[in-house]
Amino acid sequence: MGTYIIRRVLQMIPVLIGATFLIFVMVFALPGDPTDGKCGERPCSPAYIAEFKKEYNLNDNVFLRYAKYTGIWPTEQGGLLQGNLGKNYNGYKVVDDLKERYPTTAKLALVAIVFEVVIGIAAGVLTGVRKGGFLDNLVLVSTLVVISIPIFVIGALGQYFLGVKAGLFPVTVGSNPSFYELLLPGMVLGSLSIAYVSRLTRTNLVENLRADYVRTAIAKGLTRRRAVGVHALRNSLIPVVTFVGYDFGGLLGGAIVTERIFNIQGVGNYIYRGILNRDGMAVVGAVTVLVFVYLVVNLIVDLLYGVLDPRISHD
Amino acid sequence: MRGTTRTVAVAVMSAAALLAAGCGSGDSDGGTSSEGKAGGEITIRGCNPENPLIPSNTTETCGGNIIDAFAAKLVHYNAEDAKPEMDIAESIETTDNQNFTVKLKSGYKFQDGTEVKAKNFVDAWNYAAAGKNAQASGYFMEPIEGYGDTQCTGTAEDPCTDGPAKSETMTGLAVVDDHTFTIKTTEKVSNLPVRLGYSAFSPLPDSFFKDPKAFGEKPIGAGPYQVESWTKNQSVVLKKFADYSGKFGGNLDTITFKIYQDSDAAYNDVIANQLDITDEIPTSAMIDDKYKSDLPDRNAQKETGVIQTVTFAPPAVDPAYKDPKVRQAISMAINREEIIKQIFNNTRVPATGWVSPVVDGYKADQCGEYCTFDAAKAKAQLEAAGGFSTPPITLSYNADASHKDWTEATCNSIKNALGVDCQAVGVVDFKTFRGQIRGREMKGMFRTGWQMDYPSIENFLAPIFKTGASSNDGDYSNPAFDKKLEEAAAATDSAESNKLYQEAEAMLATDFPAIPMWYGKTTMGWSDKVTNVKITAFGTIDLPSLTLK
Repeated sequence: MGTYIIRRVLQMIPVLIGATFLIFVMVFALPGDPTDGKCGERPCSPAYIAEFKKEYNLNDNVFLRYAKYTGIWPTEQGGLLQGNLGKNYNGYKVVDDLKERYPTTAKLALVAIVFEVVIGIAAGVLTGVRKGGFLDNLVLVSTLVVISIPIFVIGALGQYFLGVKAGLFPVTVGSNPSFYELLLPGMVLGSLSIAYVSRLTRTNLVENLRADYVRTAIAKGLTRRRAVGVHALRNSLIPVVTFVGYDFGGLLGGAIVTERIFNIQGVGNYIYRGILNRDGMAVVGAVTVLVFVYLVVNLIVDLLYGVLDPRISHD
Repeated sequence: MRGTTRTVAVAVMSAAALLAAGCGSGDSDGGTSSEGKAGGEITIRGCNPENPLIPSNTTETCGGNIIDAFAAKLVHYNAEDAKPEMDIAESIETTDNQNFTVKLKSGYKFQDGTEVKAKNFVDAWNYAAAGKNAQASGYFMEPIEGYGDTQCTGTAEDPCTDGPAKSETMTGLAVVDDHTFTIKTTEKVSNLPVRLGYSAFSPLPDSFFKDPKAFGEKPIGAGPYQVESWTKNQSVVLKKFADYSGKFGGNLDTITFKIYQDSDAAYNDVIANQLDITDEIPTSAMIDDKYKSDLPDRNAQKETGVIQTVTFAPPAVDPAYKDPKVRQAISMAINREEIIKQIFNNTRVPATGWVSPVVDGYKADQCGEYCTFDAAKAKAQLEAAGGFSTPPITLSYNADASHKDWTEATCNSIKNALGVDCQAVGVVDFKTFRGQIRGREMKGMFRTGWQMDYPSIENFLAPIFKTGASSNDGDYSNPAFDKKLEEAAAATDSAESNKLYQEAEAMLATDFPAIPMWYGKTTMGWSDKVTNVKITAFGTIDLPSLTLK
């Protein structure tokens, strides 16, 4: 197990370097000059442009710039290897921006994940054990409905009826949001995944319930509750964990639409605005962190497999 | 100027108008307002200032709104009609429009306790102008004598290292005593006093020059409100400045700008009484005037100093539009009223000239019949020009803001009236769009907007249509027009000056460098907690007049 983790962590290094390089090249290959539009509908003064280009090494070629960015090429302020993500085009440190936004995004992702896991798995189990019953059909239809409605519709309706009209939840989210404030956005965000989680759980459970080991377990005299809950469900959760892990990674990348509707200052909007403003430094910095988060989440998911099914061994 | 859509979060801020007149000074117990009471705190929709809050380096609305609140200037624009009124200045005198003597009122204090002196203006303006400081609004100092010598002379790559500027200060500025300084301009500038209300002309305290970085985070001005705290992407808190001695003080103790990314979210918060004022009503609430039933008696609309135009590519880039008759024909083929009704829910006003009606010197109907929809006349005019040589006509826009609908409607109108195919062409985003225009690569017609920097007819003509001007995207050049502008700038009588500017504007109807489309309006809505919400000619909230109910 220990060697497995060390091996995986070491594997992360080339992935990180490769991914950041690709992102770096792609972001700066976008057409358009970052100083265009910076001074409105009139061009910026040559001095301003020169200062700007010097500050962000825009006169160097892309390889040298990447070397400076990562810190392989020594610069006075240091680079990625020294933990410096650089400054965005407005002169603020990307690290500071992300420090402010990541806790909010992580909280929101957590609310959404808890919501989808608890309700999704519960619905999956209930429908799985009573296949073809009324509840099964109800969940099938309602998940279909949720899957087919775009998230901004769910978000806007939820905000209007539950927030503005009923006053049950705050309409928008303030700074340093509490979990209560994030409940409604989290539910909106998790709604789509609930549908997937419940269906994944149900299908796998139905299949496993027919398996020999479950029949044996019941034949041995175990209660149905234990046979389903411990033996069948545990095996059925492997694809669910894969999905949830992937989903959590995705949510940590920010949920642009939901963040906009509820005015949540998260990572998604940061990246979106960075792309719009051609703010290469902001985008590369945020995405680099994101790649890292993805790698870690994936490692955790892989380790969870072993917990759920001891036959999957990492040694 | 700034762009006309907030989504793009463009250029220069609205000028000083935030500090507007309102009623009475902050010390007077608020007794001047009939229903409101003094003190209290409210929350207003804001957007995130993009850069550190330095007046001469802020070119976008979000930061501009904050700067207008904490910085006092020589001149202040009236909240109602944008007329300039003396603020820090006791008097600004000139006999020849070239040598100005500015006398300051005594007693004005910066929020760090130091007194506002003549040198604070001179130092600030020199700092803004000096090339090595690379200030985005530095070009506002251009009229002052010696501006050219403060610019770096090196090659384009790094002009300030290769060729340092000849001088760091402008010869046109001189301190006479603590409360007097003189300005000498390179050429005659009749409206200089009006320009001085723009935020780039704010005085800066001595502490700024010691540490501009710290200043940008917690700026200091001499205005009625001071920046208490700025939490990036969350909020900016303004507190009433206790030692403010000017005439334009506020009533409220605390004003918080809460930062929103989306106008829908802010609007919903106002309906739920969780936000006090939104200065932007989302399109969804504009449809059928929904906002009027959502916020009964709690909304207002006002015309602002914004004009939307459509500019023709320079003849060297696209000769198809060279003939003014072709241009006039296209303009006459646009049914402005119908488009405004269908697309904008009447939140625009059809333009009848190139100058916004909110400024001093505006004259109606300068464009005349060419800005009136008449399909038959338009067609006749196009035939007189010999038809359109290389169809289709194209109208480009930046696709990252809501310009698709109106450009397509405009094109349809042109197509139906002239019988020539017209296509609205989206360019991916504002930066690429402006890049193509700047590089003179864009052909056909393209959208241009102008938001005034200061309320003067000159601001709608000289920066856009003068030969070689910074925003002359169509490379319009007419010696007679330039000469008229010069004469107007030299005229010592303001009525005479305005008349000359109007004559210059009239020439645009003959040459037609751009099609006037419509003037902007700003709509705001507020919660049931606040009252006395006034919209300035710059489309901003007049903070000093706000009161709680």
